[in-house]
Amino acid sequence: MPASRQPRIIIFTGSSCPWCERVKHYLKEKGLRFREVNVERDRDGARELQRRGIMGVPVVMIGSHPIVGFDKAKLDILLGIRR
Amino acid sequence: MSEYDVLIIGGGPAGLTAGLYAARAGLKSLLLERGIFGGQIVNARLVENYPGFPEGISGPELGEFMRRQATKYGLKTLTTEVSGVRAGNAYEISTSEGNIQTAAIIIAAGAEYRKLDVDGEERLSGRGVSYCATCDGFFLRDREVAVVGGGDTAITDALELAQHCRKVYIIHRRDRLRATKAMQEKAFSQPKIELVWNTVVHEIVGDRMLRNLRLRNVKTGQSSDLEVDGIFIAVGLKPNSQVFSQLVTLDEAGFIVTDELMRTSAPGIFAAGDIRHNSFRQVITAAGDGAAAAMSAFTYVQE
Repeated sequence: MPASRQPRIIIFTGSSCPWCERVKHYLKEKGLRFREVNVERDRDGARELQRRGIMGVPVVMIGSHPIVGFDKAKLDILLGIRR
Repeated sequence: MSEYDVLIIGGGPAGLTAGLYAARAGLKSLLLERGIFGGQIVNARLVENYPGFPEGISGPELGEFMRRQATKYGLKTLTTEVSGVRAGNAYEISTSEGNIQTAAIIIAAGAEYRKLDVDGEERLSGRGVSYCATCDGFFLRDREVAVVGGGDTAITDALELAQHCRKVYIIHRRDRLRATKAMQEKAFSQPKIELVWNTVVHEIVGDRMLRNLRLRNVKTGQSSDLEVDGIFIAVGLKPNSQVFSQLVTLDEAGFIVTDELMRTSAPGIFAAGDIRHNSFRQVITAAGDGAAAAMSAFTYVQE
């Protein structure tokens, strides 16, 4: 998917979170750009998740749709990644 | 002629050690990894039982050392997922990057955490239900949490959580822990940890977030509720062997059966590490399996 057409992606991460590394690695590999918010350092980021009742990372926010955890199947569908 | 002498599936300690030995033996070797190198040890803040590191070493660092050492001797790596294996004159492996031919295969694809399979688990995942204490413990500072399991992983999680949580329950279905003595002693001497013996979680309750756990004592059959803000599930591993199930013999739990030379039921296919039946699931035993599998693969390719 061309970079200009990709949806806005924010990844909420923690400081010692292997699954966060995996999800970032995966999106990078697919050529997708994203912004990272480390919720252990960014209080607003943490509150944003807690407001949605989320208490885990990674969370991949695609537009306003959150995907909790490294759910590759869901990511592929929502981002139009072909296997 | 195959493109490769040996193809290694999985980039944890077993696969990387197999790669090191295969490359040094002069085999044309390729290692496929779907995520990041290091396997499950990337989850470990400190590996304290891998010999040679008296002060311990961080899991990600150890994984990176292993990767560097193997690639230094000519092991090639590729990030891709294996979707199928076909047997013929040689083996053909289908991946997201295309098909690859190889004479021998070393399966070191490891295992993943197992779920409890109870009501509410899936729905409340990330909403109080977690499989990674180092990832999500942060959200539960000063709260009360439960850890389910009785092995080293469960106890490590509980000890780590006890540093920041107000109270940590360890819920275990038996009346003794499976974790090593050293870990058990640490858990028993941590005042914030309370053990709930002979007990299973049979439902995880909550709407938007986890509210409480429904427990059942397996000895008395009695049910009870436990109010916690988080539950960390550490109840063992499930092997990543689905792709190979038509090719090699698996045990009832899905682990690959091998002999002491790491040979599976299919000629030229070897298995190493946590995916193997009766694996001790240690970094050092996985590495040992990897070395043995590569040496067996070498013999196979020579013949």
